[in-house]
Amino acid sequence: MKWLQKLITWARIKSPWVIHFNTGACNACDIEIVAALTPRFDIERFGILLKGTPRHADVLLCSGPVTRQIQDRLVRIYEQMPEPKFVVAVGTCACSGGVFQGCYNVKGGIDAVLPVSAYIPGCPARPEAIIDGVVKLLSSLDPKPAATLPETTTTAKST
Amino acid sequence: MILSLFNLLIFPGFLFLSLFGLAMEFVDRKLYARMQNRIGPPWFQPFADFIKLAAKEEIIPEEADPVMFRLMPVFALTAVVTAFFYIPLWGTHSLFAFNGDLIVVIYLLTLPTLAFFLAGWHSTSLFAMIGATRTLTQLFAYEVPLFMAVLAPALLAGTWSLSEMTVFYQVHPAYAGFNIIGFIVALIAIQGKLERVPFDIPEAETEIVGGTFTEYSGRLLAMFRMAIDIEAVVCASLVAAVFLPFGFGLGPAWGFVIYVFKVLIIIALLALLRTVLARLRIEQMTIFCWKVVAPAALLQLLINLILSGVL
Ligand code: SF4
Repeated sequence: MKWLQKLITWARIKSPWVIHFNTGACNACDIEIVAALTPRFDIERFGILLKGTPRHADVLLCSGPVTRQIQDRLVRIYEQMPEPKFVVAVGTCACSGGVFQGCYNVKGGIDAVLPVSAYIPGCPARPEAIIDGVVKLLSSLDPKPAATLPETTTTAKST
Repeated sequence: MILSLFNLLIFPGFLFLSLFGLAMEFVDRKLYARMQNRIGPPWFQPFADFIKLAAKEEIIPEEADPVMFRLMPVFALTAVVTAFFYIPLWGTHSLFAFNGDLIVVIYLLTLPTLAFFLAGWHSTSLFAMIGATRTLTQLFAYEVPLFMAVLAPALLAGTWSLSEMTVFYQVHPAYAGFNIIGFIVALIAIQGKLERVPFDIPEAETEIVGGTFTEYSGRLLAMFRMAIDIEAVVCASLVAAVFLPFGFGLGPAWGFVIYVFKVLIIIALLALLRTVLARLRIEQMTIFCWKVVAPAALLQLLINLILSGVL
């Protein structure tokens, strides 16, 4: 049954379907996510597809700090996703709360509410960084390179 | 008995159809990507998608009807696989032929759409229900032109059996040239049947999340996707058998090559349609189907009626 597990892991790495959720971003990170979906970056090369419904998705791309108002909705979206599921925090705000840290209406980064699998810093994170983050997150599922990839974090390249 | 089981389950039955369907999904997606100046997915993409979905958790909403919710994907898959056995593929005779199988094939191809509707309806999610009603609305728009377009060549051949039709066109190959309007109508109608752009109104993910399949996940979704892939192949085979009846007399090996080639051409045409057009609104689609496509199909019927009297 080991080969079956291997096959499933391979399929998971090759076919990440993402859903995008704005948890309170200033919209720049969202625009970068949308830019990453355009034919210019052609993420279908990696099998990444954008899905409209959480039921179909494997990866939840969150942008922005978690506001008090969005908190319940975010958890609800997360719970609607079938296992196995991953959360990726896109942008500095999503990683830590960023410039909104300590605001009266902000809980903090995504990890204040949900378990986060990958952090993609950048204000806003570049499309390359987002794609890199998702691909690295999924390759960390593969047991072999996991030794060389202890942390599934990426750094945004500045231009 | 053993041979029938082999035919049903392996070749040209379920296993062959699944692999062929997934391969055709790749061809479609790759062509689509190349026409958009992208690189597109690798060849194993549909297989990876399928395996991943099959290994995922399967959520059944509390409000949904669990029996119908589980049954509908199986129902859709069964209907399309069954339809495949009545279509002549690489010989002039299909696996199981009888007089009137043309009608049965068209009805079997309607069943998946009905299954999509019921699946959406029994999900009891708002988006799924909107998708479901749109599926049915759309069904009434494209189904009639498709019927007329496919029945017109049968009228010319004077038979209701797909196998006898191919025999007829084998003897009179030039007659197939008269069915060109029907061919175009059938292509448009099939695009609607497969719910692809510009007729992907029931699944419009920018408006209604995931349409009919909003609540589906895991294995059930994988089954639905498989049903749609197989439906594409079956529809392409039907169009190939009815409108491109060439190359049946060359023995099974060449017949198979020509069959795959014909399906590829039709899939490429469908991908081209998908690339160059944008999604219509539901009422635009209905108006287009009834005012343009249906009269064209009627014209084809008329032409064939007169021809069958003259020739
Ligand atoms: S990281 Fe920067 S661009 Fe992204 S949401 Fe925060 S402030 Fe906006």
